[in-house]
Amino acid sequence: MIGRPGSTLWLLSHEIRLSWRGLIGGRRGRIRMIAFGVLAVGFGVAGVPIALALRGVDMPVNPLSILAADFVCTMVFTLMLSQTLAGAADALYARGDLDLLFSSPLDPRKTLTVRFASLAGTAFTAFALLVLPVLIPLAIFGHWRWLSLLLVLGALALGASGAGLAVSVGMFALIGPKRTRAAAQILAAIIGAAFFLASQVRTIFGERSTSMWLQLLALANDPRLRLPPQAAWPLQAALGDPAPLAVMLAVGSGIFFVVTAWLSRRFAADAASAQGADAGLRRVSRGAAGAFTGGVFAATFVKEMRLLTRDIALLAQVLLRVLYLLPVTFLLLRSAAGHEAFALPGGAAAITFMAGQVGASLTWITVSAEETPELLQCAPASAARVRNAKLLAALAPLALLLAGPLAIITAAAPAAGLAAAAGATAAAYAAGLINAWYPTPGKRSDFLRRRRSGSILVGLAYFFVSALIAAATGLAAALLPWALIPAVLAVVALLVLRRSPARIAEALAAAQS
Amino acid sequence: MADALVLEDLTKVFSKPAVDHLNLRVRAGELYALLGPNGAGKTTTLRMVAGLLKPTSGSIRVFGVDALAEPAAAKQMIAWAPDEPMLYDRLNPMEYLEFVSGLWGVDPKEGRARAETLLKLLGLWDQRGQRCEAFSRGMKQKAALAGALIHDPKMLILDEPLTGLDAAVSRQVKDLLQERVAGGATVILTTHILEVAERMADRIGIIQNGRLLAEGTLTELRERAGEREGTLEDVFLELTGEAEAITA
Repeated sequence: MIGRPGSTLWLLSHEIRLSWRGLIGGRRGRIRMIAFGVLAVGFGVAGVPIALALRGVDMPVNPLSILAADFVCTMVFTLMLSQTLAGAADALYARGDLDLLFSSPLDPRKTLTVRFASLAGTAFTAFALLVLPVLIPLAIFGHWRWLSLLLVLGALALGASGAGLAVSVGMFALIGPKRTRAAAQILAAIIGAAFFLASQVRTIFGERSTSMWLQLLALANDPRLRLPPQAAWPLQAALGDPAPLAVMLAVGSGIFFVVTAWLSRRFAADAASAQGADAGLRRVSRGAAGAFTGGVFAATFVKEMRLLTRDIALLAQVLLRVLYLLPVTFLLLRSAAGHEAFALPGGAAAITFMAGQVGASLTWITVSAEETPELLQCAPASAARVRNAKLLAALAPLALLLAGPLAIITAAAPAAGLAAAAGATAAAYAAGLINAWYPTPGKRSDFLRRRRSGSILVGLAYFFVSALIAAATGLAAALLPWALIPAVLAVVALLVLRRSPARIAEALAAAQS
Repeated sequence: MADALVLEDLTKVFSKPAVDHLNLRVRAGELYALLGPNGAGKTTTLRMVAGLLKPTSGSIRVFGVDALAEPAAAKQMIAWAPDEPMLYDRLNPMEYLEFVSGLWGVDPKEGRARAETLLKLLGLWDQRGQRCEAFSRGMKQKAALAGALIHDPKMLILDEPLTGLDAAVSRQVKDLLQERVAGGATVILTTHILEVAERMADRIGIIQNGRLLAEGTLTELRERAGEREGTLEDVFLELTGEAEAITA
């Protein structure tokens, strides 16, 4: 550890040590490091020729390069904001060491300032590691001033962290400490997806789709374009021009330090009160009396539906993936209106594939994240009935979600609609079966981590089975008999993957031990 | 005997009062057990004393220091050990103890020496290089306890320190706490294991609905409850009115 114990530097080095060990820890950490090493070498190999090619070449400061730099800066800022927003919520509400730090005689403001700085540091490091393999050869081969791009990234990271923290505290005041974390993660996902959606704006609104770069080129060549001088600052700063660089650093640091100074006092109280403030206060609507009657299947289904609807944040985390379906939906809408027959099978296949992916997440929640598995195992109930009730409960929100796109296809071509509905159901149900056969038990709150930590083979199984069913759906929607081939392959794959109840129980016991 | 902790009209309101005008005195060098039914306000009270929660009103004095006006000075004398051990999975116990030493401003050399002593005492010396993520519940609890003791606090506040521990670890923890009390430290603990309070505590406070119901030695509490031969469990159930609920 660096610095005098208790000092800001010392605390910062503690944060860095924890982050570093999180990055390299365990088997996944080693894989991550190897992957990073390969990537760095790859970038480095690519970076040297780029640097040699750009030797002695000055970057032109013209409307196109200015717009491109502004666009990249905005994109990086948005992604950093998304990262720091989720990170802020995690750092303040998920990591269990605030009690230890706050119960020590250190000034809570110092503790929080260091934690906020580490957020900015994490955002900066992720992007810096991406550009360094190219930037270093460029610096060696003459463009040393371009290293100031790192300072620009630093300024963006500071600004994004300040903004992320401010939003996080705003949510804290509005919706309370417990819900802030989930809401911040959802907001982060929306912001993260915003660029994808923005890039699809023309698709959504019905104009001919072109790439963002082509749009940028067209805009830069527009003779009516008059850019204000400030628009060039990000590019000039990245190229090492001292004045714009100083302005960017001042703005980024200013946002960070003003927000941090203002918030750390407030957060010290807020974060402390996060513990127990909501405990026992959340009211849940009393379900209709006797809702759990009607047998094992009905009782399990009702229980799962209640748990899902009472954890809207978790449900939202899963369903947010469907944001990426929006452009496809709009494309379908337009194609249906324009009677573009070939667009429908593609859309049907896309919806089926997405149903498989979202279905896998939802069924993980209902099947693997069962909070009382032993209670169910002890109950005199058929395991298959319980499993099917859980799968049905997982598919219900998906059905609601897909109702719109499926209705659009059905209105345009009833056969294609029927194929899409059947395909989506089959893909989601197949994902549920794989989940039931290869359980990865965990807590609902660990949803994101658990999904990532599942077996790679099972992950591939989800992907290929969904892809095969999607292909079958697309071909069936186009009324092609070839649909039978991927459909049969999907069934064969499921038969190969199938496990007996005894083997499932063994796997479950092994996973829980 | 001087007061280690004085709470006056301490109140914490969330949506309803969790701690309601609580008045409490803990003497220096005693082991004080704070008992109460679930949701009585024990943990909230201790979290306020540890500086983790801001009271809605009232005052907290730790060895004469106003903990609300001078939180750092009060915290310097306190160690807080919650029921869930506060550990870093990715640090080993030695690193963890060095870190906690740093937080409380213990000289690094002295901190390392104390860490070694504590780890040996608690049987964690052989695991000093292993990351805490691989530890069992008992080992984690012991590592966290070592963290609480590393700065030689004058007052130890422990929330359910024996929950989930096996008999051997439980004995080790109890012995260590009694040693600390014999050495002059003040220990305040909450527990649902009433036999522990019965055997270890010098005085016992019972709170319910955020208010102090009764306080004193076991003998004093027995008299108050009219249970001259009863166990602490009988006394507790009688005073909290839960005995009636059981028989009803």
